[in-house]
Amino acid sequence: MTSHRVTEEASPASALYASGVGRVPLSRLATFAATPDQLVPFGIVAGGAVLAWLCRDFPADLPFWAPWEFSWVEFLAAALGFWWYARGVALTKAVERPSAWRHASFAIGVVSIYAVLQTHYDYMAQHMFFLNRLQHLIMHHLGPFLVALSWPGASIRRAMPAPLGRLVDDRRVLRVLGWVQQPIIGAPLFVGLIDLWLIPAVHFQAMIDHRLYAVMNYSMVADGLLFWCLVLDPRSSPPARFSFAVRMITVVAVMFPQIIVGSYIAFAGRDLYTFYDLCGRLFPSMGALNDQHLGGLIVWIPASMMSSAAFMLVLNNLRRHEESVPLPELSEEQRRVVVLSSRWTGR
Amino acid sequence: MFARPALAAAWHNIDVAGDVPPLAFTMTDATTGKPVTAADFRGKLVMLYLGYTMCPDVCPLTLQNVATILKKLGPTADDVRLLFVTVDPNRDTLPVLRQYTALFAPQIVGLRGSADQLAQLARRYRLVYSVSPASKTHPYQVTHSSAIYVFDQDGRPRLLVPSLATTTPDLAGTADDLRRLLNQSRPGWIARLSQMF
Repeated sequence: MTSHRVTEEASPASALYASGVGRVPLSRLATFAATPDQLVPFGIVAGGAVLAWLCRDFPADLPFWAPWEFSWVEFLAAALGFWWYARGVALTKAVERPSAWRHASFAIGVVSIYAVLQTHYDYMAQHMFFLNRLQHLIMHHLGPFLVALSWPGASIRRAMPAPLGRLVDDRRVLRVLGWVQQPIIGAPLFVGLIDLWLIPAVHFQAMIDHRLYAVMNYSMVADGLLFWCLVLDPRSSPPARFSFAVRMITVVAVMFPQIIVGSYIAFAGRDLYTFYDLCGRLFPSMGALNDQHLGGLIVWIPASMMSSAAFMLVLNNLRRHEESVPLPELSEEQRRVVVLSSRWTGR
Repeated sequence: MFARPALAAAWHNIDVAGDVPPLAFTMTDATTGKPVTAADFRGKLVMLYLGYTMCPDVCPLTLQNVATILKKLGPTADDVRLLFVTVDPNRDTLPVLRQYTALFAPQIVGLRGSADQLAQLARRYRLVYSVSPASKTHPYQVTHSSAIYVFDQDGRPRLLVPSLATTTPDLAGTADDLRRLLNQSRPGWIARLSQMF
């Protein structure tokens, strides 16, 4: 209420001076002046607008790191994600702040997703199947994996604008997320989305139609974040909803369908994805089948290797959890029966 | 998106109605030397193709096939234009482009754009193009897509013609498709007026 009144008095600055109402106390003007916190989001939007304009009118003059097809959704998600994370960390008590490797994991995750979507790499990925598979690997596996590993939720939540924060905490939203983030739904969704966009007819439509292309990319990033947050939750259950064992089974279960689809594409004897032939391959020296073999291998090997990496990280989370819990007072007899990871980790 | 009639007979080429944006570009017409836009081709069936005049195989083969198809169409071919957009504007000057297109058919229009105009067109239709000048390690290299987009008289996307640079070009089928598009009645003036807004 007060600030509203100050705004009215202070807004036409010239009138203020002319009428000699310089008596508005400086301290009150200071509360009206925007802090850097409030200015950064405007800076982000302004920067986005400049980038959008440059991309629209001067696509040939932009450097490689500039977007090929500017997307407000992708740009704002990355920029605001970064900003809220940094703000959130600053607002956190020094002792509770995430460690440096978690900052690095978050930063590399977000930057890698942004890099495959909002730079000229996107143009390359539209015109080589194996580069397109690499793009999907990064925006669905590696990038969200690193973001989930940094476990940034609490920091981001701390700096989010209040209305958005309330939305994130809304029980209905949480219920939907909880439903999607259960292994029985999350695992088939994770594999199903990869496969859906790889159905040749669907892939053709998604590549040629800008709108479907955007839907494909959003769905992949969102699903990647949901799935890896389910698996890489550092907490034990409760408060996490599923035990470490269930999460280990989940992450191994998604490996096999990816191996099957990846090897099917890698060994296919005919060109399944004609879009790249029609709209052109960036490296014409690479034939359709070579391109496809390489793409299939990317779906097959590195994608399923992520499952192994995640499996070991969950195992590590389990160990850390066990070590953080004080050992119960056990008799010598009980000690021999109970299973402790310290037996094989030696810690 | 335009609803596709469920019972319509299948096209010989790939149906892309509603999948890509309507025809839009600004370039220089090699014949007149004047700037042209998509609006200048309203009322014509437009085929859009990217290429370059020094192309050793794909472009001459494609244009020769287009010329054959246009001959099949007879007098109605006058309502068709093939826009031959050069991806190599540094070497394809307007006179070069004009001479080259004239070799094949009068309905082929050479278009030359600035680097930005070309990039905008390629991005809009997801087409690939690149020029890498000769260096010590490789000769002058040009890459371009091989498919032809077909837009109807109102600039709406209709077909993608995949086969004209292959060893088995579907000349009869493509001629059929073009005839079918030419025979479709144009929308009434109300529909056309409403499209202007």
